[in-house]
Amino acid sequence: MDALLAGLLALADVELLLLICAATAGGVLIGALPGLNATTGAALLLPFTITMDPVAAIAVLITIYCSATFAGAITAILINTPGTSASATTCIDGFPLAQRGQAGRALGMAAVSSTMGGIFSVLCLMAAAPLLARAAYNFAPPEYFALTLFGLSMLATIGGGSPVKNILAGAFGVLLATVGIDLLTTVERFTFGYAELSDGIGFVPVMIGVFGISELLTQASNLHVTRERITMKAIQLPSRADYAKTWRTILRSSGIGTFIGVLPAEGATVASMIGYNEAKRWSRTPEEFGKGAIEGIAGSEAANNSATGGAMVPTLALGIPGSPTAAVILAGLMVHGLRPGPTMFTEQAEFAFAIFWAMLLVNLLFFAVGLAGAKLFARVTLIPVTILWPVVFICSIVGAYALDQSMFDVWIALASGVVGFFMRRHGFSVVPLAIGLILGGMLETRLGQSMVMLDERWWLMFARPLTLFFLVLTALALFGSFVWGWARRRRTAGSTGE
Amino acid sequence: MTEPSAESAGRARLNRLLPPLAILAIAGIAYHLTTTFDRVPPILKRGIQPSDFPQLVIGLIAALSIWLLIRGRESAPRPLPSVVWVTMAVLLVFPILTAVDLFLALGVSAGALAACWGERRIPALLLVSVLIPVVVFLLFDLGFEIRFPRGLLTNLWYG
Repeated sequence: MDALLAGLLALADVELLLLICAATAGGVLIGALPGLNATTGAALLLPFTITMDPVAAIAVLITIYCSATFAGAITAILINTPGTSASATTCIDGFPLAQRGQAGRALGMAAVSSTMGGIFSVLCLMAAAPLLARAAYNFAPPEYFALTLFGLSMLATIGGGSPVKNILAGAFGVLLATVGIDLLTTVERFTFGYAELSDGIGFVPVMIGVFGISELLTQASNLHVTRERITMKAIQLPSRADYAKTWRTILRSSGIGTFIGVLPAEGATVASMIGYNEAKRWSRTPEEFGKGAIEGIAGSEAANNSATGGAMVPTLALGIPGSPTAAVILAGLMVHGLRPGPTMFTEQAEFAFAIFWAMLLVNLLFFAVGLAGAKLFARVTLIPVTILWPVVFICSIVGAYALDQSMFDVWIALASGVVGFFMRRHGFSVVPLAIGLILGGMLETRLGQSMVMLDERWWLMFARPLTLFFLVLTALALFGSFVWGWARRRRTAGSTGE
Repeated sequence: MTEPSAESAGRARLNRLLPPLAILAIAGIAYHLTTTFDRVPPILKRGIQPSDFPQLVIGLIAALSIWLLIRGRESAPRPLPSVVWVTMAVLLVFPILTAVDLFLALGVSAGALAACWGERRIPALLLVSVLIPVVVFLLFDLGFEIRFPRGLLTNLWYG
């Protein structure tokens, strides 16, 4: 309780509150710009936070996360292009509503359901994260190793792409994490004689490269795309009839989004897809979906915003990112010398609760900013790509340099950007690469510690119930879909044979 | 009519085979490098040798690449527009220009990117090639106290 109040008091600083307000506006701007999303925005702004104190820095990153996730709906509704991938399902009903002259109503519902979903998930975060941290407090290295492995195995399902390609990209990230001096044995690995590589490959330049510069190259290949833009008179709060129609959907999607967010590596995009599908499944008028159903917007937006709070549960309590943007925030925590994990709630409880309060505040702020400034933010979609992306390029390069004031990091960011672009072109998601790089070091350290603890008898891990539980979950995450598909094919073949 | 589809099938096959083969080649080189890592005496090895974990990961990468070689789906991504290659060329020239000055390189590259992407308005080109780099420089130098590498232009500021 003391930590809860101390966290609230830590936020009671005019400068910090102004910073959060500015970051909310910045986050809405980032989310409203097609091509830029919460992950890219957080990665680009991470270097700007290095001189701030940790509470302010992480509050800014989290503010960007929450407000950009909401703002993706603005472009989804007005130009049928999701500002972030998490708002892709909002297009399905948002744009038809806008075409019917109800853009303000659609945006109003997006703002309300986003806020309600966000607040629901932050309340869950405040309750669940300390409990999860307490449960994990007695984890030994084998449990941590198995948990990290489970987190990495969840990469298989990221982005809806090929699971094999996702795991391959994740493994490549883990391999990159082995570059530098091995902390356990002090042996140099893959350094090629470069002193800059002794400390390993920094994850901030890699993130700036794979999320910022590779997106620049992707945008270059989409220059011919033109978008129809719907004008909007003013944003409207939902009517009583709209609330009556959607409150169940908002509650259901908030629950779904929070749960999906808690799963390691799964983020707002998956949450919004499931939230939308469930809204349609439970609707009394499913035939309206796709033609401008207000429940569709509520289902999608409540789910994607509630995933943000859910994603912060494993990030803060276990040090395993709950989403791609949470991975950037995790990197931010590490850059500021903070150790996410169970000890955060005992040794830095005030900090953890300050972050929770900041998230709660942001959810109210983006509602206000969204209502007051939606029309203005809608205009940012008019910024020409010929100006926007060169500016992103400048910010990427300066951001990559600023963290360690090293030109080597700039080359890493450029190389990561080009590699990331070709990965995306060949169907590999770049998110697993970034998460693999962050978790790789932890995975190896925990494996080494486990081997020491178990006297190099690795098979003893299977004799530890919790370790076994996480290893079984890992196997299910990796092979579940294959086994399920195989069983279904056999059943279908069997019934056809009969 | 058959010629384009044969060409397209050839491209699809190349697209399926090229990434796993490239990854296998990288994995092979990486594995060779792991064999050159120093080994530590058993008393100091703290559970695993420095090469054990990378080799485990490389093994996984190789296995998954072979899976992709055998079971990967064939698809032909549309050819890259020339503007993408021009953009990459700008990214390639950027490091060379940094030898003169980082912010000169940023201004020239950002301006070149905007021009290559079709921007023809002089104020817009000046915005991305002059104003934005200057604002970013001042923000980081004065606001965050970040020192940038000395060069032709930054020397004017640093003295």
